[in-house]
Amino acid sequence: MISTFMGLETAKRGLSTSQGALYTTGNNVANANTLGYSRQRVNLVQTSGFPTVGLNSPRVAGQIGTGVAAETVQRIRDSFLDAQYRTQSNKIGYYGAMSESLTKMEGVMNEPTDSGLAATMEKFWNSLQGLTANTENSGAREVVASTGVMVADTLNYYYNSLTSVQTDIGNQINVKANEINTLISSIDQLNQQISKVEPHGYIPNDLYDKRDVLVDNLSQLVSIKVNNVIPTDYGRASDVATGLYNIELMQEDGSSFVPPINLVSVNQTGMVGTSKVEVSHDKKTGMVDGLKFGSKTLTDYKFSGELSGLIKSFGYKKADGTIGGAYPDMLKKLDNMTTAFVNEFNAIHKQGYALGDDSTSALNFFELEPGKSAAQSIKVNGEIIKDPTKIAAGGKSGGASGDNENAKLLADLKKKAFSEYLTKDQNSVELTGSFDTYYSGIIGKLGVDSQSAQKNLSNSVVLAASVNQNRESVSSVSLDEEMTDMIKFQQAYNASARMMTMMDEMLDKIINGMGTVGR
Amino acid sequence: MRVTQSMLTNNMLSNLSNSYEKMSKLQEQVSSQKKFSKPSDNPVAAMMGMGYRTNLNQIGQYQSNIAEATNWIDSTDDAITEAVSAMQRIRELTVQGSNGTYEGEQLKTITEEIKQLKEHLITLGDTQIGGKYIFNGQDTNVRPSSVKDANGNTVYGTGDINLEVFSGISLKINTDGSKIFGDALAAGGSIDQTIEALENGGDVSGTLEALDATINNFLGMQAQVGARQNRIELMTDRLKQQEVFATEILSKNEDVDIEKAIMDLTTQESVHSAALSIGAKIMQPSLLDFLR
Repeated sequence: MISTFMGLETAKRGLSTSQGALYTTGNNVANANTLGYSRQRVNLVQTSGFPTVGLNSPRVAGQIGTGVAAETVQRIRDSFLDAQYRTQSNKIGYYGAMSESLTKMEGVMNEPTDSGLAATMEKFWNSLQGLTANTENSGAREVVASTGVMVADTLNYYYNSLTSVQTDIGNQINVKANEINTLISSIDQLNQQISKVEPHGYIPNDLYDKRDVLVDNLSQLVSIKVNNVIPTDYGRASDVATGLYNIELMQEDGSSFVPPINLVSVNQTGMVGTSKVEVSHDKKTGMVDGLKFGSKTLTDYKFSGELSGLIKSFGYKKADGTIGGAYPDMLKKLDNMTTAFVNEFNAIHKQGYALGDDSTSALNFFELEPGKSAAQSIKVNGEIIKDPTKIAAGGKSGGASGDNENAKLLADLKKKAFSEYLTKDQNSVELTGSFDTYYSGIIGKLGVDSQSAQKNLSNSVVLAASVNQNRESVSSVSLDEEMTDMIKFQQAYNASARMMTMMDEMLDKIINGMGTVGR
Repeated sequence: MRVTQSMLTNNMLSNLSNSYEKMSKLQEQVSSQKKFSKPSDNPVAAMMGMGYRTNLNQIGQYQSNIAEATNWIDSTDDAITEAVSAMQRIRELTVQGSNGTYEGEQLKTITEEIKQLKEHLITLGDTQIGGKYIFNGQDTNVRPSSVKDANGNTVYGTGDINLEVFSGISLKINTDGSKIFGDALAAGGSIDQTIEALENGGDVSGTLEALDATINNFLGMQAQVGARQNRIELMTDRLKQQEVFATEILSKNEDVDIEKAIMDLTTQESVHSAALSIGAKIMQPSLLDFLR
């Protein structure tokens, strides 16, 4: 026998469920612009029919539905798109850091302009040509000395500016490492909170969203992979519970480190702990010489992301003890080039004769400070600045005023290949071509590197935008849709209320209208 | 695909910022007149540009070296031309003196004039440009006539002064003074012989041959200088052509096509304003506007 009030109960369920759906709609609308919010949906299910099967169950024609219930409130999200987005955002982090540091480098080098090293060197070579034409002229000699000073100043400026940008990047590495550690512990805390809610059968959508935003941020800094882990002993967790996040640091090619490095470690029995990152620097060179993740130390930086981009710009010590990185490379190239140039220029200069001098000048034109980088310490010999007649333009003793033979040799250095240098044995093996072609090669390579970083960055930005578009298409709130839902649930609510009224009238008939025959 | 408000907003924002970026790049091109400002804008062109600049600069430097060389060689030519006419005058006077019709006083005048002409040749040997003695070898700041040997002969300095006038090509710009003025003015040389013969009232016709040899020596030198002048002219022409060529390449490599840049900028501006107004329209309506 069906209970008298069953219809009322069904209508009541309808009312409260519609109300719940409306509240969720309200929540969606309220969070339409919240960062990381994914729209939520109430999963409506029918409550079980009456009567249920049993020995004593009433014999009726069939089951009658008993209404609706809100089973779960679930966020609508696609974890596959999340993974795609994080891959792209990781590339944005890496190429963003790379392209920014290379663009800064281009800014310092300032080529091709009229004020870069190339232009300054041209002035210097010209001044030497001027000297060959006017060896007796003290003006021409002053010009050689002062353009020599300009060359030295430009190289000093390059060195100082590059190292100061490099120092900035080094500071950023520490900031980013702190950021990573903060994110790791926040994710770990959210894991803990979630682990307290899920076993009760609830779905903590707000905590999921918060955690996903943090993981998005983390993915920009280091390359990671997220594994959902639902511990075996996890209470009455719902089927749609997301579980805990285990976050693994991945290599740039997408494979795991051996042994794996888990930034946030979770296994079947629950949370294990976190591995915070610690950056260590080589005491002598100041370069990054290792990254400690918890108890494991990485020395090959084979992961991607902003942290890695910064380290690869700033400079790091490789396993074989050599230094790598965009800034150290550039500084080293400038240094090798400067050293070779200074040694050769001095060697030729020393062979020559100063004005009115009978013995070879034996004077260095440029001076380097031992123990310091050549580009940092190059300067023009003070004696030459004081007395430019000491510039050894002459090729033979006697100090004839018109003797320009050595000046010509000095001017010819412009076109001389490093391999033809008298001092070539002291040169670094990397040096090829002449000073001019080698330097324009450096600038060309910088341009190509910077351009490719920028192109990769803009590609990643486009891809990330497109993945994010897909993600938003799934997860973001559409006001039109919510308004439609609002009308839908409002009408359902109204209809349930009407059912309630109808039941009331029906009961009124039974209670007040029946058994009153003949009255 | 499900489209939501936030997607529209994000899309529009990113499209607008792209469009701004394009505009700023074009604007930079228009105002700087250069296709690129950083090596990364166009690495190949930037690298080539550095090479072209070096070329152009080198051409400029060779041109100024050539100007210096021209200065020296033209002055040498002038000096020798003048020396030749002085020598010819000496020869003329010598011929007059050899006629035997002149009296002692007249011969003295002739001798005096020849002596003056000799002084003139010494002055020519001291020719200077820009404070430099061009006939004194590498000792350019020493007046040749101020240095004499035991016999009273002028000792001209030695040594070549070469200037690079083209990649790998050096040109000697000075002329050995001792070979021309030194020989002509030497003690016991053709002029001295003539003067001595005239002063002793002797026969001067014998010195004409020596004078002719001296004149020929001058003319020979002048021919050499002329050859060098021709060479310089050739170099100048070639450098001028190269300069035009190098400037053109440099310009093609990095100068912006201004008409195109302005057209692109204008197009981009109208695209941008269209994007703005469409964005403003698309952001407005939602179902909310139609619900009571």
